[in-house]
Amino acid sequence: MSSEEASAKTNVSNENEIEKKNDKAFSIWMKGMLKHLSKNWIIYTFFIIPVAYYIVFRYVPMFGNIIAFRKYSAGGNIFGSQWSGFKYFKQFLGDPAFRRAFCNTLILNFAYLAVRFPLTLVFALFLNEIKWLPWKKFVQTVSYLPHFISMVIVAGMIKELLSTSGPINTFLVSIGQQAIEFIALPEWFPTIFVASGIWQGLGWGSILYLAAIAGINPELYEAAKVDGATHFQQVIHVTIPCILPTITTLLILDIGGMVGSGGAFEKVFLLYNPMTYETSDIVSTYVYRMGVYSGNYSYATAVGLFEGLLNLILLTVANFTSKKVAGESLW
Amino acid sequence: MSEEKIKLDLGKEKKIKQGVKVKESWQFRVFQVFNAILMIFICATTLYPFLYLVAQSFSSEAAIIKGQVSIIPVGFNFTTYKSVLTKGDFLGYYKNTILYAVIGTFFSVLFSAMLAYPLSKPNLRLNKFFVPFIIFTMYFGGGMIPNYILMTSLGLRNTVFSFILPGLIGTYYVLLMKSFFAGLPHELEEAGEIDGLSKYGVFFRIVLPISKPIMATMVLFYMAGYWSNWFNAFLYLEDRSKWPVAYHLRQIIIGASTSADPGAASQETMQIAANIKSCSMVLMAVPIICVYPFIQKYFVQGMMLGGVKG
Amino acid sequence: MKKKLLSTALAVSMVAASLSACTNGGGSGQEEPAPSQTAVENNTETTTEEGTEVEPVEELGYTYGEHFHSDDPVTYSMSFSDASWYPMTDQWVTEGVFAQIKERTNVTLDLTSIDSNDYNDKIALSINAGDAPYIIPKTYDESRYVDGGAIVPVSKWTQFMPNFTKFVEDYDMQSDLDTITRKDGNFYRLPGMHESPNQDYFFIIRKDLFDGAGVDIASLEKDMTYDDLYDALVKVKGYMVSEGMCKESDYIWSDLWCGQESGQGSGGNLLKIMGFSYNVASGWAVADCIQYDHDKDEWYLSSTTDDYKEFVKTANKFVSGGILDPETFTQDDSVATNKFYRGETAIMSVNRGQVATFTAGLDEGVGAGNYETYLMVTPKGINNYMAENSRLENGVMISKKAYDELGEEDFIKMLRFVDWLFYSDEAYDLIKWGIEGETYNVVDGQKVLADGWYCSGLGYADPTPDDETDNKDMRLEYGYAGGNFWYAHRVDQRDDNLTPALQDFSKRISQYRDIRPLNPALASTADENEQINLWKTPLVDNINTWTLNFVTGKKDIDKEWDNYIKSCDDANAKKLIDLYNEINKR
Repeated sequence: MSSEEASAKTNVSNENEIEKKNDKAFSIWMKGMLKHLSKNWIIYTFFIIPVAYYIVFRYVPMFGNIIAFRKYSAGGNIFGSQWSGFKYFKQFLGDPAFRRAFCNTLILNFAYLAVRFPLTLVFALFLNEIKWLPWKKFVQTVSYLPHFISMVIVAGMIKELLSTSGPINTFLVSIGQQAIEFIALPEWFPTIFVASGIWQGLGWGSILYLAAIAGINPELYEAAKVDGATHFQQVIHVTIPCILPTITTLLILDIGGMVGSGGAFEKVFLLYNPMTYETSDIVSTYVYRMGVYSGNYSYATAVGLFEGLLNLILLTVANFTSKKVAGESLW
Repeated sequence: MSEEKIKLDLGKEKKIKQGVKVKESWQFRVFQVFNAILMIFICATTLYPFLYLVAQSFSSEAAIIKGQVSIIPVGFNFTTYKSVLTKGDFLGYYKNTILYAVIGTFFSVLFSAMLAYPLSKPNLRLNKFFVPFIIFTMYFGGGMIPNYILMTSLGLRNTVFSFILPGLIGTYYVLLMKSFFAGLPHELEEAGEIDGLSKYGVFFRIVLPISKPIMATMVLFYMAGYWSNWFNAFLYLEDRSKWPVAYHLRQIIIGASTSADPGAASQETMQIAANIKSCSMVLMAVPIICVYPFIQKYFVQGMMLGGVKG
Repeated sequence: MKKKLLSTALAVSMVAASLSACTNGGGSGQEEPAPSQTAVENNTETTTEEGTEVEPVEELGYTYGEHFHSDDPVTYSMSFSDASWYPMTDQWVTEGVFAQIKERTNVTLDLTSIDSNDYNDKIALSINAGDAPYIIPKTYDESRYVDGGAIVPVSKWTQFMPNFTKFVEDYDMQSDLDTITRKDGNFYRLPGMHESPNQDYFFIIRKDLFDGAGVDIASLEKDMTYDDLYDALVKVKGYMVSEGMCKESDYIWSDLWCGQESGQGSGGNLLKIMGFSYNVASGWAVADCIQYDHDKDEWYLSSTTDDYKEFVKTANKFVSGGILDPETFTQDDSVATNKFYRGETAIMSVNRGQVATFTAGLDEGVGAGNYETYLMVTPKGINNYMAENSRLENGVMISKKAYDELGEEDFIKMLRFVDWLFYSDEAYDLIKWGIEGETYNVVDGQKVLADGWYCSGLGYADPTPDDETDNKDMRLEYGYAGGNFWYAHRVDQRDDNLTPALQDFSKRISQYRDIRPLNPALASTADENEQINLWKTPLVDNINTWTLNFVTGKKDIDKEWDNYIKSCDDANAKKLIDLYNEINKR
C-alpha cells in the first residue's frame, strides 16, 4: 500500500517536473504567439465569420453523431435519452439489408472507378492530340457541360431515355428486339449508374490530366524527337511518365473514397426502386430509409457514423500512401 | 504568375504544333482521323440527351407515346410551355431559384475568399491549425438528422437561410482559391500596403480584382450548386411559395406532381402530362448551359492551378 | 503543441456544451400530461347534465351539438398536408375555409403547409426536432412517436370532446379504438372514424367493351373471382383486337397508384385490394404483413404463406397473359389515366373522388356517348372479404408542446376546438361543402353545389371544361372538400355527395362482400416497438422487392420460392413473429 503511494508520489513529482518544463516551453511559445498575433491580428479577423460558420454548421452537427451510442426517442432530448453503448452497431452488423447496402456501395464505386479511371485518362490523351484549337475547345465545352447539370435533370433524362417509349427501346424494337424495362431490372442498375456517371464526368475528370500534360516541359518532347521517337512513342515515353504522379495521386485518392456513398446518394435516391434494391440500395439510401422514413434515428446514425469513420480511415491510409508513393497528398 | 503560365502553355502548344507538322507520318494521320471520329461520337453522345429533351418538349403527346421523337420535334406545339409559364407556380419557383442562387453565390464567394486569403499566407502561424480544421470537415460530418435539428433549433427552417447555409462555404473550393491566392505576386500587395491600404483594403481593392479567373470560377461553381440543389429544399423548406425550381422538378420527376389541373381532363392536360418533365428540365437547364461556356476559360485555369495540389 | 491545445480547448468546450444540452433536456418529454382533478370535475358537472337542457356554460363546459367559439381571439399552430393537385393558396386564408373557421370560432390557424408527398417524413423530422405544431392532422401511423413523449396520449382527454365521444358511443367504436391503443392503455391519435368500413378504392371498367365481348359483368361480379376476371379480360382483349382497338402485344390494363411514388414502391393500391382477397397484406398495406390468425390465436407473416403464393401467381397470370402492363409498378399515374382516356385500356382502379374525373377524361379521349362505364365490385380471391376492414382512418395528433405552452385550461379549450373542427356536424358541412347559399344549396334534403361551382373532389366535374372562366372549383378556390379534415363519417354524411352510380356501387359492395375481422391491438413496450421497427423496415423492403418481381414475372415463384423464404428469414422474419407472439401471450 505504502510503496504504491510512494511510487505514486514520485510519479506525481516527475509529472510535475515535466509539467514545469512544459510550462516553460509553453510560456516561450506563448510569448512568440502573442507577438505574432499582435502583429497580424487584422488579417486574423478575416477568419472570424468563416470559422464561426465551420464551428456552427460543420462541427456542432458532428456531435449529433452521439445518438449512435444513445437511444434516441422522438421529441425527447436531441442527444438521446440514455446510453445504449454499441447496441445499434451490433444490430446493423447482423442485418443483411445493411450488408447488402454496404456491398452495393463498394461494387458501384468500384465499377464506376474501374471504368471511369482509364477512360478519363485516355480521353485526356486523345483530347490533347487535337491540333485544331477551335475544335478542341468545342469538344472541351461539350464534354464539361454535363458536370454542371443538376442531378435531378440527369435522373429525369435517364428515366426519359430508358422508358419503354423512349429512344433506346424504340431502337431496340426497331431492330427486332424486345423492349427492356431498364429502370425496373436490378441487373441493369450498375450499368445505368456507371454509364450515366461517365456521361456526366468524363470531360470533367480529364481536366486535371490536361493540366498536368500542359505542365510538361516541351524540351522533353524536343529531345525525344531528336532521338527519333514517333508521336506514339513520345506519348508512351514522355507524356505518361510525366503525368504519372498525377495519375497515382488521383487513383489512390479515388480508392480512398470507395467506401463513401455521399456522392452517389442523390443519383441512387432519384433512380432506385424496390425492384432494384438488390443492386441499387447503398449505405446512404439505407440510412435515409431507416432514419428519416422509418424513424430509427439512433440506428441510422450508427450506420452513417460507421461509414463515415471507415471512409475517414481509408482516406487517411490512401493519403499517406499517396504521400509516400507519389509525393502528393491532400493534407 | 498565372498569366505567365498561360502564355507559356499557349507558346508550348504552338511549338508542338509546328514540330508535328514537320514529322507527321501516315500512321499519325490515320490516328487523327480516328481521333476526330471518336470526338464527334463523344460530343454526339453527350449532346443527344439534351437534344432529345428539347425535341420531346415541343412534340405532341401522340408522338411521344409512340416513341416517334428522336432529335426533331414531331407534332410541334407550345402547349406545355405555355401552360408551365402561365399557369401554376413555375415562374415563382424560378424566381426563388434565381434569388437563392444570387444571394447564396454572393456570400459564398465572399466568405470563401475571406477564408482562403489568410490561409494562403505561409507566414500566419495559426494556419497550421486552421487548414486541418477545415479539411477535416471534408471527410467527416454530422448526419442528416443532427443537421436538421441544428437548423430547427436555430429557427432557420423554412427560411432562405436554411437553403443557403448548409453549403455556404465549400471546403474544396476554399482550397482551390487558397492555391490561387498563394500564386499571386506579393509585390502588388506590398505596394498597396505602402500606399497606406489596410489589410481589408489590400484584399478588396487589389487581391480580388486581380483574381478574376478564380472568382469567375467560384461564381460558376457555387451558382451551379445552388441552382441544382433540391435536397436542402426537401429537408428544410415547407411552403410551396419558397420552393426552388429544382425541388419542384424533383416532385415532377418522381411523379408526385403535375402542374396540370386534374379537375379538367382535357386534351391539354394529356399533352401536359406527356412532356411536362422535359419542358421543366429544359427550362431549368437553359441558364446554366448559356452561362457556362463564357466562364469556361476561367474555370479551366482555376482547376489547373489549384487542382492537383488541392 | 499549439495545435493540440487549441483543438483540445475547442473539443472540450463543445463536449461541455453538448452535455449540458443533454442534462437540460433530459427530464422533459418523460411526463405525460394528464388532466388535473379540477378540470375533470368541471367537465363531469357539465357532461352529466348533457342530454338535459343546459344553460349557456363557461368556456370549459362546451357540450355536444354546441357551436365552438372562443371569447378571445386565439391562434393554434397546425400542420397542413398540401396536395399538389389542389395546392393551398392565400385565398383560402383570406376568404376560404380558414377564414370561415376563424369567423365562426375566433381561432386563427397558424398553418405550416407541407407538400403531401413529403408530409410524413417532414412531420417525423419536426416532431423529432421538438418543433411540431400543436395540431397534426393526416397522421397515418403514430406508433413511432408514442414513446418519445412529444405527442399527447389524447385518449386521456377525449372526455372533453363531446362530439368525438358521442360518435364513439353511437356507433360502438370502442373495439376499433382498442386496435390503436398502446400498452399504457392510451391511444395517441384522434382517428378519423367511419360508421362502416369504407371501400374507397375499386375498379372502373369499360362496360361497352365487356358487353361487346359478351361478358355480362353485372351478373358475374357477385361471385367473380380474380380467375374469372382474367378469363373475362382475355375475352375483352380478343374483342378489342378484332375491333382494331389494340394489338395482340398491347396490354389492356394499365393501373395507377401502383408506381414508384403513389404506390410507395410496394405495388400500391392494386396489390392491396388483391392481396386481402387472399388473406395477404400487400401493396399499400404491406406494413401490416404480420397478420393475426383468430383461430390459432397467433400472429403470422402473411407474405410467406401458401395463400401468398396463390395471390402472387394469380397477379402474375394477368401480366404474363398479356392483360396487365408490368410497367404499372414503375410508371407515373398519368400514363395509366391517359391510356384509359384514349380507350387503350378496359379496366383501371378508381376511387370515389376520381370517378367524375375519369369519365370526363373518357369524354375527351373516346368521346361522350361512345363508351359506357361500370363501377365493379372488387373480385373475390380465396375469401369473400373486401380489402378495407377498419372503421378508422388517418387522424390528428396533438403535440405535447401545446399542453406545455398553453397550460391546462387553454389546452382543453384547444381540444374543444379540435373536437368541433374534426367531429362536429357543423364543421363537417362547412369543410366538405362550404357555405350554404353560396357554394351549396339543400334541395329536397340533398346537398347540391350552387351554380357557378364545381368540385372534382366531390365528384362534380366542370360542366364546361374548355371555358375556364365561368365555373370555379371550390376546392381549388377556397379549400373546401380537402383531405385534411373529414373525420367522423356517418354513412349519410359520407355518401351525401355520391352520384347514383356510386351509391349503387356502395350498396352492391356492402351486399356482396364481407368484412374481415380486425387484428387485435399489440401492447408492446417502447423497446419492443423500436425492435419491431428495426426488423420490419428491411423485411418489408425485402417483401416488396420479391413481390414485385414475382408479379411482373421477373422471378419465377416456384423456382425461387426457397430463396425468397430464406431472404425473409435472413431479414429476421422469424424473430419478428416470435416477438409479436411473445407480446400477445403476455
